[in-house]
Amino acid sequence: MPTQESRTRFTAMAQLLHWLIAALIVTQFALGWTAVDLPLGTHKLALFARHKSFGMTVLMLTIVRVVWRWANPPPELPAGMTPLERTLARATHLAFYALLFAMPITGWLMSSAKKYSVSWFGLFTWPDLIAQNKTAFEALKTTHDYLSDVLLVIAVLHILAALKHHFLNKDDVFLRMLPFTKSKRGP
Amino acid sequence: MRRAAISVTMLCMASVATVGHAASPATSYTADPSASRLDFIGIQAGAEFKGSFHRFTAAIDFAPDALASSHFDVQIDLNSLDTMDNDRDTTMRGPDIFDIAHFSASRYVTRSFTKTPTGYSAAGTLTLHGVTKDVPIDFVFVSTPGGAKLEGTAKLNRLEFGVGQGDWKSTEQVKDLVKVAFSLMLKPRSLSE
Repeated sequence: MPTQESRTRFTAMAQLLHWLIAALIVTQFALGWTAVDLPLGTHKLALFARHKSFGMTVLMLTIVRVVWRWANPPPELPAGMTPLERTLARATHLAFYALLFAMPITGWLMSSAKKYSVSWFGLFTWPDLIAQNKTAFEALKTTHDYLSDVLLVIAVLHILAALKHHFLNKDDVFLRMLPFTKSKRGP
Repeated sequence: MRRAAISVTMLCMASVATVGHAASPATSYTADPSASRLDFIGIQAGAEFKGSFHRFTAAIDFAPDALASSHFDVQIDLNSLDTMDNDRDTTMRGPDIFDIAHFSASRYVTRSFTKTPTGYSAAGTLTLHGVTKDVPIDFVFVSTPGGAKLEGTAKLNRLEFGVGQGDWKSTEQVKDLVKVAFSLMLKPRSLSE
């Protein structure tokens, strides 16, 4: 990989992982919100089966992403950002990564505690992490729901920040994560 | 005199043993509920889930050398279903799955037994959800100091018994094939009844 390219833009792999995970998260909210209010039936099982398969996919992609990020550090933040902005940006991204792990793991724990084991698209079954436990299930469900709200807030902040960088600051922070574009706007 | 008495005793023992072997009827057992299990394993949304029936009675007449006179009669209280999740248990007891309001009992009765390389196989009928169908079982039988242990498996297709109405007729989320596994600790019936 040319080093010049990876210093000003995210790598193609980082972009792919970012947008793939973003699309999966949008799908996860749609599936989760729809399924949770349904009565126990085949429709609910079908939606949650997909929700679980996608969730475990997010977990696996996030592991790949963290390893990739470690091996291919992201481009520097624009020079014009204030220390506060830098801290906010780092905190938001750190929270994002924490949630990308916490959401699937709390979901996996929930399924284990309720004895609805997690299958990955019917191809194989993930092992239950904990034994059946009603109290644990309720606590995990509350946590999963609460974290999904936090994720939503962080996602909104993330999108607003990207738009602010693009339209107000007119820097390349948004473009460098956008495939098939060139970051020519300078730092 | 004493030697003669011993000889007579030994002769008697030998003849009892011989007669006993030649005409041994199947021994009558009953399952000890606290030490016995009756489980089923279904596939739901691609993953296995296990359920147990906590209440059942098993009248087991069996002897390895008296297969012709051996006979199992197992009665299961479907209300004792337990899949470790109340929501799932309630749904399964409901009208679209076991319909326990109408069919609370299930029964398995054997017709004949055959020896297999690993144990025994029984032909018999299962009555479930008001439908009676042939379901073979494979099992091993091991004598224990207090009686015997009977462990085995069976496979059945739930839809043949009408278990799964409406949406649950679909096999997309809950597979048709259900595995059954049992482990019965048997004690001689005369001791317990």
